[in-house]
Amino acid sequence: MSRAARLGAFIIATLGILVLGTVIIGSNQYLFSSTYQLKSQFTTVAGLSAGADVQVGGVHSGTVRSIDLPHEPGGKVTVVMDLNKSTHEIIKQDSVASIETEGLLGNQYMAISFGSPGRSDVRDGDTIASDPPLEMADLIKKTDAILDSSQQAVLNASQMTANLASISAKVDNGKGTAGALVNDKQLYANLEQTTSDARDTMVQAQAGVTDFQENMEALKRNFFLSGYFNKRGYEDSADLTANEIGQLPADPPMKTFTFSSKQLFDKVDSAKLKNQKPLNACGEFLADSQYGYAVVVVSAGANGDAQKDLVLTEGRAMVVREYLVETFGFDDSHLKTLGMGKQAETNSDVGWGSVQIIFYPSGAVIPPNKQSPAATSSGTIRELPTLGSVVSVPKP
Amino acid sequence: MSLCRHQRPARRSRPGFEPVSGRDLNVAGDIGPSPAGQWARLIPGLGHINTFLEWFGDLAIFSWHSLRAAVTPPFEFRELFRQLDEIGSMSLPLVAAAGAAIGAVLSLEARYSLTRFGAKSMLPAAIVYSVIHETGPIITGLIVSGRVGAGIGAELASMKVTEQIDAIEASAVNPYKLLVVTRILACILMLPLLTLAADFCGVLAGWITQAIAEPLSLQQFINSAFKGTTLNDFLPPTFKTAVFGLIIGLISCFQGMRTQGGAVGVGRAATSSVVLSSLFVILADVVLVKFILIFFP
Repeated sequence: MSRAARLGAFIIATLGILVLGTVIIGSNQYLFSSTYQLKSQFTTVAGLSAGADVQVGGVHSGTVRSIDLPHEPGGKVTVVMDLNKSTHEIIKQDSVASIETEGLLGNQYMAISFGSPGRSDVRDGDTIASDPPLEMADLIKKTDAILDSSQQAVLNASQMTANLASISAKVDNGKGTAGALVNDKQLYANLEQTTSDARDTMVQAQAGVTDFQENMEALKRNFFLSGYFNKRGYEDSADLTANEIGQLPADPPMKTFTFSSKQLFDKVDSAKLKNQKPLNACGEFLADSQYGYAVVVVSAGANGDAQKDLVLTEGRAMVVREYLVETFGFDDSHLKTLGMGKQAETNSDVGWGSVQIIFYPSGAVIPPNKQSPAATSSGTIRELPTLGSVVSVPKP
Repeated sequence: MSLCRHQRPARRSRPGFEPVSGRDLNVAGDIGPSPAGQWARLIPGLGHINTFLEWFGDLAIFSWHSLRAAVTPPFEFRELFRQLDEIGSMSLPLVAAAGAAIGAVLSLEARYSLTRFGAKSMLPAAIVYSVIHETGPIITGLIVSGRVGAGIGAELASMKVTEQIDAIEASAVNPYKLLVVTRILACILMLPLLTLAADFCGVLAGWITQAIAEPLSLQQFINSAFKGTTLNDFLPPTFKTAVFGLIIGLISCFQGMRTQGGAVGVGRAATSSVVLSSLFVILADVVLVKFILIFFP
């Protein structure tokens, strides 16, 4: 081999090594493949340095080109990344950059999440959203707080178990009520005996009540007392609210019959019917016409005791309803009653009050019955609607 | 020697080199009849300092002559190619063997220590990083200063003592152009290339050693080794050896050209060429490493 050939071979071989090394290292830094730039902003980069890996889906796909400090306080640190062109289809506008650590104490690298399929592509030089890095110091602070509170919790728990142990020891030893309950067989036997006795008593009491009811019924029909019930107009107070609705329905009425109580009833404080004739026209309408339901609304005059007046109006409504149902015979489930109690006077018969029978069109929903009889005795004074006008009453 | 002295006024106009201090000097520094020598008898150590300073002054003048010779035509291309071959290709086997040995040794040593720290997977990166960053360049520098430094020093020294250099000058050829510049240039050009060869052999031997201990494909080895390596880890350390080449060429030629005193002088020149060039290569490396760390982070 000539001198020149030897020299040439040497130079070519060593320059070949130079090129090889440069290409191997350079391709690692994506110096020779086409790349695009992305930016992301962080309040802290937690020690990330230029040249660090950028991973997309855990695959090394780029490098951090530079990290620029902000120009003013309060600004954010900008990380500029060179990414391999092949990631362009994965990274979208909603991808998020975050700074991760390899292992607990390893190198820091940038991780970029996949974008959503529908979102638009990133362009060269775009800025994508960032996730603040997890700082070890913050983590330790948080853990410290958790440890403190859990220590307190453990202390409480041990206190509680101590209490429990003390209680269970007492129970076991037969101290106190619970201890006696657990340990004393005598107590249990007594309790059982008592329960059994109570049951017997209840059966006897029930029989007594039935007897009493019969006695009372007999008493009502007795000559001496029947006058009271006759004068009152009805016998059974328990039936007063059987068909009564809670309040006037909000629906606009179809037709209204209005009577003065003075025309119909015997006395100012009585529910006994004196003259039924005015009701007949209404009864015929009830029997013949199409309607949804009807309500017998009775109000008393402004005089007298409010509680008594409420009972009186309820009684009058019931009596009117019974008369109509018995005389004209129709489906009585569509006829409801409503005692309004004491109301402002609306007609000339001062102190007597009025009776209205209000019809509602078919299809209207029948309001629910008055729920609790207790509400009847609370003395609530309800408002009577002005006749012929549309009334707005709050829905139940 | 005495001939040199007599001819000296005639050569003054030409860039021939003679020690300015007018006496033979080396680092061992025997004190001769000089003004400083008389002071040195009174103050111990002053002679050494004086010798040391004179040596640097002479080196500076020598460098200046060489630089001037290097930039002015005509150029001695034929001699340059001969030196490129002599210094470059002829050193290749030695440098390659040294690089391979270093790669193998690093692999063996690093395996032992990294396994103790549970970081065995870092082994390829450790080998490659240390070979291309420091071991390859410095080993090449030392091997070449041993082989080439001794060669240049002895060659020029024997030419000097047999008055061949004077003969060259007499035939109107600048000995700086013919002998010094070609050798220094060849050293500067060849050292980086030899370093590349040493790096290559070192990495290859590192892989082979690793693969013998535990099977690992070359592909895997390269991927793992060059992960995180940047061009700043590769190119600046490689090309810093051009500075080593400059040091080796300059010191060896200087020591050869200023030789005096026959066969003993030749031996002394060869020895001092090797010792001084090796020493300055290592000292320069300290500065260069810091320089590279600052300018190529």
